[in-house]
Amino acid sequence: MYRLSKMRFGFPIGLFLLLFVDGSVSQVFSRQMFNTPSVMVSHLVVLWLVCGVLFEENMAMPLVKWAAVIGAVFDLYYTGIFGVYIFVFPLVVYLTRQLVNYISPNFLSGLLIYFIDITIVEALSFVASRAVHMTSMSGSSFLVNTLGPTLAFNLAMFVILYFPIRWVYNWLK
Amino acid sequence: MQKFSFNRRLVIIIVCLIVSFALMTVSVTIRNKKSTPPLIQQFGNDIVGLTDRVVALPANGLSGSVSAISELLNTYQENQQLKKQVSELAQTKVRDQTLAKENKQLKQQIKLNDSLTDYTAISAAVITRTPSSWQNQVVINKGSSAGVVKNMPVMSGSGLVGRVAEVNKTNSKVELITDNNDSANRFAVSITTKAGKTVNGVLSGYKSATGQIVMDNLTTKSKISKGDKVVTSGLGGVTPKGLFVGTVAKSVGSDYGLSTKLYITPATDLSDLNIVTVAVTKQ
Repeated sequence: MYRLSKMRFGFPIGLFLLLFVDGSVSQVFSRQMFNTPSVMVSHLVVLWLVCGVLFEENMAMPLVKWAAVIGAVFDLYYTGIFGVYIFVFPLVVYLTRQLVNYISPNFLSGLLIYFIDITIVEALSFVASRAVHMTSMSGSSFLVNTLGPTLAFNLAMFVILYFPIRWVYNWLK
Repeated sequence: MQKFSFNRRLVIIIVCLIVSFALMTVSVTIRNKKSTPPLIQQFGNDIVGLTDRVVALPANGLSGSVSAISELLNTYQENQQLKKQVSELAQTKVRDQTLAKENKQLKQQIKLNDSLTDYTAISAAVITRTPSSWQNQVVINKGSSAGVVKNMPVMSGSGLVGRVAEVNKTNSKVELITDNNDSANRFAVSITTKAGKTVNGVLSGYKSATGQIVMDNLTTKSKISKGDKVVTSGLGGVTPKGLFVGTVAKSVGSDYGLSTKLYITPATDLSDLNIVTVAVTKQ
């Protein structure tokens, strides 16, 4: 029962908190994460959304709506280019829901699903940035310098934060 | 999730794509043309920026104290070296003051009020950084209410780091010169060679593999050597003259052999920004 649980407030608070933590992590560890040419991009917001799907069970949460809201805030506040993440985040939630239908969610399958999600987030935002000339990076250097390190960082974050986030979701239910 | 029929899903996908591209095009156009974003966007950004400070303050404070502890370890050695430098600096400073005074008097004599080198500084703290691999962008805590205007140059430490890309009331976004998009790092710069010649040009990109700024299409005959200083020339707009960009690392012939291409080592560490200075020219 989504309406009656603490989740109703806890989920958005966690979502916004992790959005800001994304930026703060990038700022505080910028020397390590933006160590050019290889760049690690933190996507803790996506982790929170994907975990929302994984731990949703039979509680129908309005994840797609919140994904669109947080995508809009991300676009306006971080990138300044409106119209990228506002569509990418809901797509990721939708896709994760489809995948969860086929694979029962646990730690390892969650890792696999998260791998696919991060790849899609990065690839789509790369395509969008290329389309509006925000970047001139070539496809091959995107794969090597951005996607690889980003996947490594975010999968490590998944491994570290999976159980804490599950604990938080169980507490919120 | 109810099952859509294939056609309906296709329509939704196509509509989303079209809307997405339309929004992106509009926002890029606004970013390039207008001096401030639409009021709603400004308002939203201000609110989000204020909430972000609640999260960013402890995080930045924590990192500050950690680096303070690690810096404590080599303080003694640093102190020894700095002491030597201080005595030299005092000399330079006195001379600098005399020259500035003389400069002012000379300007008064020829009735020249503001020249290209004059600017006032607004110092700002970095709140957060865009978690994105192609937009090297930071959000600073000063906006239009503090006098920041779009396209103003931003410095950190000893050198130029970027330019203001978007201004809200209480915060603004700074595009760093490491950003490789079409407009981020086009600064008009000049180099004074060892022979005393001045070479003008425009920065044209950033080579992320080596961390160097690229300056292409130079058709000068004069010889530019390694170590020559690159400063902004003050030509064409809001950038004042004389902001330090970096030193020349390498001078090579360009891809077609017709012009010279320079690689410039940036003056500051561009990956570690905490306090920045926005240079405001009198216009």
